Amino acid sequence: MSEPVILVPLDGTKQALAALPVAKVLADIERAALYILHVGERQLPAEELRNHLRAGAPVLDGLSIDVRIGAPAAEIAQVASAINPLAIVMCKHSGTERGKMLGRTATKVLHDAPCPVVLVPPERGAIPWHLHHVLVPHDGTPTTSAALGPAAELAERGRAELLVVHVTGVGAAPTEPGSFTTPRYVDQPQHEWPAWAGEFVKRLASICQLGHVQVRVFLAHGETAAEIQRLSEKQSTDLIVLAWRGRWEAPRAATLKNIVRDARCPIMVVRA
Amino acid sequence: MRQGILWREWRHQDEADRITQLRMLRLVSLADRHLLVQCVAITPENSSTRIFVDAALTGPLVQITGSGTTVAMAVADHVTTPTESFTPSIELIQGRQALDLKAGETYRLDRVVALYTSRDTVDPRETARTHADRAVEDLATVIDKHRDAWLARWRACDLRIEGDAAAQRALRFAIYHLLSAANPQDDHVSIGARGLSGSAYKGHVFWDTDIFMLPFFILTYPEAARALLMYRYHTLAAARAKAARLGYRGAFYAWESADSGEDVTPVFVVAPDGQVTRLLTGEQEQHISADVAFGVWNYWRATGDDRFLLDAGADILIETARFWTSRAERENDDRYHIRGVIGPDEYHESVDDNAYTNGMAQWNLEIAAEIANLLSERFPEPWRMISRRLGIEPGEPRLWLDVAHDLYTGLDERTGLFEQFHGYFDLEDIDLAAFVPRTAPMDVLLGRERIQQSQIIKQADVVMLIHLLWDRIPPDVRKANFDYYEPRCGHGSSLSPAIHALVAARLGDTARAQRYFRQAAEIDLADTMGNAAGGIHAGTLGGLWQAVVFGFAGLNFCENRPEHHANLPSSWRSLSMRFQWRGQWHELTLPEGGARVSANEA
Repeated sequence: MSEPVILVPLDGTKQALAALPVAKVLADIERAALYILHVGERQLPAEELRNHLRAGAPVLDGLSIDVRIGAPAAEIAQVASAINPLAIVMCKHSGTERGKMLGRTATKVLHDAPCPVVLVPPERGAIPWHLHHVLVPHDGTPTTSAALGPAAELAERGRAELLVVHVTGVGAAPTEPGSFTTPRYVDQPQHEWPAWAGEFVKRLASICQLGHVQVRVFLAHGETAAEIQRLSEKQSTDLIVLAWRGRWEAPRAATLKNIVRDARCPIMVVRA
Repeated sequence: MRQGILWREWRHQDEADRITQLRMLRLVSLADRHLLVQCVAITPENSSTRIFVDAALTGPLVQITGSGTTVAMAVADHVTTPTESFTPSIELIQGRQALDLKAGETYRLDRVVALYTSRDTVDPRETARTHADRAVEDLATVIDKHRDAWLARWRACDLRIEGDAAAQRALRFAIYHLLSAANPQDDHVSIGARGLSGSAYKGHVFWDTDIFMLPFFILTYPEAARALLMYRYHTLAAARAKAARLGYRGAFYAWESADSGEDVTPVFVVAPDGQVTRLLTGEQEQHISADVAFGVWNYWRATGDDRFLLDAGADILIETARFWTSRAERENDDRYHIRGVIGPDEYHESVDDNAYTNGMAQWNLEIAAEIANLLSERFPEPWRMISRRLGIEPGEPRLWLDVAHDLYTGLDERTGLFEQFHGYFDLEDIDLAAFVPRTAPMDVLLGRERIQQSQIIKQADVVMLIHLLWDRIPPDVRKANFDYYEPRCGHGSSLSPAIHALVAARLGDTARAQRYFRQAAEIDLADTMGNAAGGIHAGTLGGLWQAVVFGFAGLNFCENRPEHHANLPSSWRSLSMRFQWRGQWHELTLPEGGARVSANEA
């Protein structure tokens, strides 16, 4: 498939439809087509399928729907492998999994996806979505820098502002080689903060193309996920982009898990 | 660093397996401060090839600063091939130029940039052009003179440490950058917080220069020290204007000073969380006036430069003393108080009776009276002229002494502790050990309001007072205060660790001093600030030098003569340095078996 696509798995629950407004805006920004995938227990006629997906005609107008039979996560992975989508946009969990941080299917998709996965909180519902502010948490390590390139490209194409938050606090500095340093001293804040933020952005620009995107750097302190969440709310963030090493078992990915659980906006997960 | 030359050398292999050797030299001349030099030697090792030199200048060659000074640059290039030597076409300056290179032969491109300002000459553009053209024709001499100038500086200023290579490297790094930033030939400029190595702090001059850097110059490069102090003299009018604007007499120096001496401290600061806060340092860090006076007195005491004292230094000492007499107010307890200030510990704003501010003000008042007395006795006629020039009333020096005598110091005779400011001891005592390790300053971690309600301090405050006024403070008071304030210091300023190293060493706690010394050395060399591109921390580097000289070596000038009480770390086999005292060079050598100070000809 040569045309860029964004894969949107819908499981037939009302919650799953929350992914659609997000996917549509992302598709507009990326000039991509939406590829709707439903994995069910049996083939359904078109009209019955639309009823089953709980989507009115305007929402799915003009879109073809790929219906497959089998295990949802495995089928999603197989389709993703075949169509090589720019991203998979899906709801965090279904209605029957309410209260879970991440549904079973979403968890497996996250593990197996060959592309970034955008996880949408079902509480958003079907209300329209826009992209004005993209938030990228950065702890100074090269690992978290993996999220920066995709976030910057998306922000530039979507004419959104890129917010980079560096969370610091009590604890040792990152030991990963190539990590950025946080300001251990602040002699005169009126000079120190602009200088540090400017250098931070320049260092970021050396590892990914920031293009003409507007970048603002924030320094936060405290528990990482809570601070990211706080800033996200304060700055009315539309999307949080996070890098993930691919390990999910405790105590790994604690920040990612907490943000996935608490964030009110969609989260794009990029493999580091 | 020894020659003041940046060398870069590497071999480049391209996709076609062509190997090219490149060697680059870059310098800013110490012998001729108008010249900047860049040379590139290119040798294609295994293939003849065509290269394109892309060395176009970016930015204008002539600029006018905000204060109306014209800054002009001129460029002259030269190319040397195995067969000829020529001035390249204008394309090398304006864009790309092609050069055909033969394998195994070396080609050299030289570039000289000359810089003049309208302060140097009426036609800076033409002067720069002539100077660049002449220099590029005799580049070897330009480079030789630069190297000789650096070697001469190192002979005077080097400080040798045996047994600790890291400490030696840190010290030479500090000396190199301090020397690079000073210019004894121009007494209308000073050294900004980041020296000349970066654009952060916009070149603004703080107390860093007078308190942290100046001692290095006073003892090893007095001509540079004099120029730095003359900058303060030339900006005295602006300091008087600032004091008058705020309703005071005398001179209140700018917290952030630039070419005119007007206070250029920003009024607002945007915190990293986007919060905008009003900045009070410009109004309240009034200790700057005493800091400037301290530099003046320090220089005069070490050099005996009476001419400077008569022409400029006395004006500064007297005008700053006058500031304190108008600033301090006598209250119901019959003591003078200075309310609403910020001390070196900038975590606490609008405080009353900051111990450092009051202690330094008291010193400033006393020293002004002492100098007035000395000048009237030794130089009666010049003193009459100074008195007339400054409008000194006959009883004024007596008033300075009266204010100094009754100025509240915050010293509790019972405990021997200075209270850093009124009410400090009532604030929340937070154990800093609970925040170790951390990657951010304490005010970022706790927030502005909580830090203001705590005893956590940003940097040496009372400890700084102990350092500067060592001989005026009894030994038990020094130790009691260091023991109290050191654990409460969050070292949120890069200026702090070096001073703690110095005072710890003088108190004989060499192990603690060494830890702080390493911490200070890492600020630039390990980039613990995360902002190396903004430039080096010139004040920290001056503090590092002081920690070694006044701390570990224990050099002191009690009774107006040099003496020392060494506290060398056990790993340091020896320390040796030269310093000037009253026009005479002295050699200080601290070998394992004992110490020696010998005087040499200047």
